[in-house]
Amino acid sequence: MSILKLENINYSYVDGGMKRQILNNCSFEFEKGKFYTILGPSGSGKTTLLSIISGLDSPESGTFYFDGEDVNKIGLNKYRRNKIAIVFQQFNLISYLTAGENVQLAMTETDNSVPKNQKEVAYALLEKFGIVKSKADRLVSRLSGGEQQRVAIARAIASNVDLIFADEPTGNLDTATEQEIVKIFKMLTEEYGKTVIVVTHSNAVSEFSDLRVKLEGGNLITL
Amino acid sequence: MNFINRALKNVTRKMSKSLLLGLTFFLIGNFVIVGLGVSSAADNAKILARQKMRAVVEYSVDHEKMWEATKDFTEEESTEFYENNPVEITLDKIKEIQQDPRVKVVNAIGNHQMYSKSFENVLVGNEENNNSGGTYFETDEFGNTVEYEHIEPNISLKTNAFDNMIEFEDGIYKIIEGRMYTQEDIDNMSPVCLITDKLAEMNNLSIGDTVTLETMELRSLEYYEGATVEDITIEMEIIGIFDNSEELDPSDPEYDWMSPHMSPDNIVLTTESYINSSKLKLEIMAFDSGKLEYPDIEYYQDEANRPSLESMSYKSNIIILLSDPLDVDAFVKDYTATSESEYLVFDANNETFLKLSKPLDTLSIFSNIIIWLVIINAIVIITLVTALTLKTREYEIGVLLSLGVSKTKVVAQFFVELAIVAVIGFTLAVMSGSMIASSVGNAVLDFQVATADVEIDEDNDYNYYAETDYFTEVSLEDITSKYEVTISPWIIAQIYVAGLGMVLISILIPSLMIMRFNPKKILLNTN
Repeated sequence: MSILKLENINYSYVDGGMKRQILNNCSFEFEKGKFYTILGPSGSGKTTLLSIISGLDSPESGTFYFDGEDVNKIGLNKYRRNKIAIVFQQFNLISYLTAGENVQLAMTETDNSVPKNQKEVAYALLEKFGIVKSKADRLVSRLSGGEQQRVAIARAIASNVDLIFADEPTGNLDTATEQEIVKIFKMLTEEYGKTVIVVTHSNAVSEFSDLRVKLEGGNLITL
Repeated sequence: MNFINRALKNVTRKMSKSLLLGLTFFLIGNFVIVGLGVSSAADNAKILARQKMRAVVEYSVDHEKMWEATKDFTEEESTEFYENNPVEITLDKIKEIQQDPRVKVVNAIGNHQMYSKSFENVLVGNEENNNSGGTYFETDEFGNTVEYEHIEPNISLKTNAFDNMIEFEDGIYKIIEGRMYTQEDIDNMSPVCLITDKLAEMNNLSIGDTVTLETMELRSLEYYEGATVEDITIEMEIIGIFDNSEELDPSDPEYDWMSPHMSPDNIVLTTESYINSSKLKLEIMAFDSGKLEYPDIEYYQDEANRPSLESMSYKSNIIILLSDPLDVDAFVKDYTATSESEYLVFDANNETFLKLSKPLDTLSIFSNIIIWLVIINAIVIITLVTALTLKTREYEIGVLLSLGVSKTKVVAQFFVELAIVAVIGFTLAVMSGSMIASSVGNAVLDFQVATADVEIDEDNDYNYYAETDYFTEVSLEDITSKYEVTISPWIIAQIYVAGLGMVLISILIPSLMIMRFNPKKILLNTN
């Protein structure tokens, strides 16, 4: 059963007076509990596609469904809050909060059912991804890039959503850390049953995924 | 980690920004506190001084204005003017005023000089030197000079249209036995009266006894054709005995000239309606006689001028005691608009008060201008600071929006952040402002008093001897001594309300900016 279904998604923008069709009747179905990577050359529209299916932007036309429900009907804000989580290349953590507080933030804001002892859960989640308590109490700006990305992933699953998007999550990390992060994504699908959709250039990342999808000519093709 | 927690973390972890903002609020708070403290002290001083003054309003004929209006008139024009400008306060108007909820007591007093028949007046104490009364000469109808003995009236009969008097409210008169006349006595024109304890003691009179008085000298009866002694005789049952705390001052230069009826001990109180009904017959006789004697005088020929109980109740002056001195100005304003004539004026006798309170008024206006200038400037400054800060926090807002945090919550977080800093800044300002407000306020008042023109005209009002002066004057010291700059809980509450109001207004423009933010654009730009 698909967790996310795209139907005839179109998106274009005008660049230097020329209209560029980024997504062209793009249709695709993402299955539950799988680890997807979306590949494609620079400028192919991967990030645009991700921003549409993560509810940060709206398509020109077309519909996409989360668990069979039209996302427009859910509402983009509610969709972002309760249905999905996003992991960014730049981690996008709140700088004046500690690692633990950043994770708690996701639990506070979601309407999904989350444990009451949020602080302890945040510590436990972070520890699972290699952030010990002493580091969890540090401001995120004092953590390394790899550590910050782990915090971002912990925040993503803290809100108890089924679908996690990641936009070049290892783009700023060294190879060793990249592998650790990819393993975490793999673990999310295997241990937690989450669906992970990662936009990446990296073959090392895509090799770990269950399904590799390429964005070509404004449409998604399974490789 | 809700928006309040996030706001708290932001304030505590971005300390330098919070300190700068806090310092701004602290300085603003000090200005506002000093302004509010001084303004409030000035207003309070005026209120306290006004409260010290009596809540008395006089409604009377403005003789000076009438004189001004008629001074260049011929006799004929003057007569016409007075006919066209009735200057009497009607009973309806008096009753309308008396029923105003702000009014405590109305003195629509009638003073009638009388001659006691069944009892003696209390001696004044000036009898040895008193030259009043005595003999005088008149020419009779045959052209002969006739010597008459003039007898001074010895009793002052005071009446009121209502069943209370300001003197009782003020404790000048105190009933020590019996009762005051009632509204029923007034309506029924009951022949009842109250006498002073001195009169009662001297004549061995008590409640239930009857006293007899004559409304004029017997000799004056000859002017009223057909009038008898019965027509000038009134008999009243004593229903109350009162103490009058007013006393004569033997050192007064006019003391020697005083007649017995001017003594506070020789006062009898009765209802206006009874006296008017007793005197009506003679009044009509006088009118009819005038009609025959002066056929050319229009007044006597106009039947509308025929005396009646109604017309006899008209007054040229009434005194109104209000419950609250602070209602005086509004009361005067309200009734001035409905005055029966432009020559009938309401006067609270507060010209001196208004003149003396000028420095306080200036101080209050000055303080209010300062407060508003500071508040407006504060709003502009804080709006700018917040809007500029917003630019540096776009990324954070984008992250929050990408997490599904609503824009309202983002705005609420910014508001709470500012509010926390504002509350701390204002709390410190309350402490320091309380200390400086007093010294600044006193210094400004001293300067105002020293530079303001508060010369007071000498009081030209003249009160006839034994006439009650219902007004109380105040001095500059009375007013300024009440001036005390204190930071009351009410002012503190105002500070916090003003502060939160400032924060609320200051956050408006940044909020509009936040509402226009698009998370994708922010995140793409920052990434």
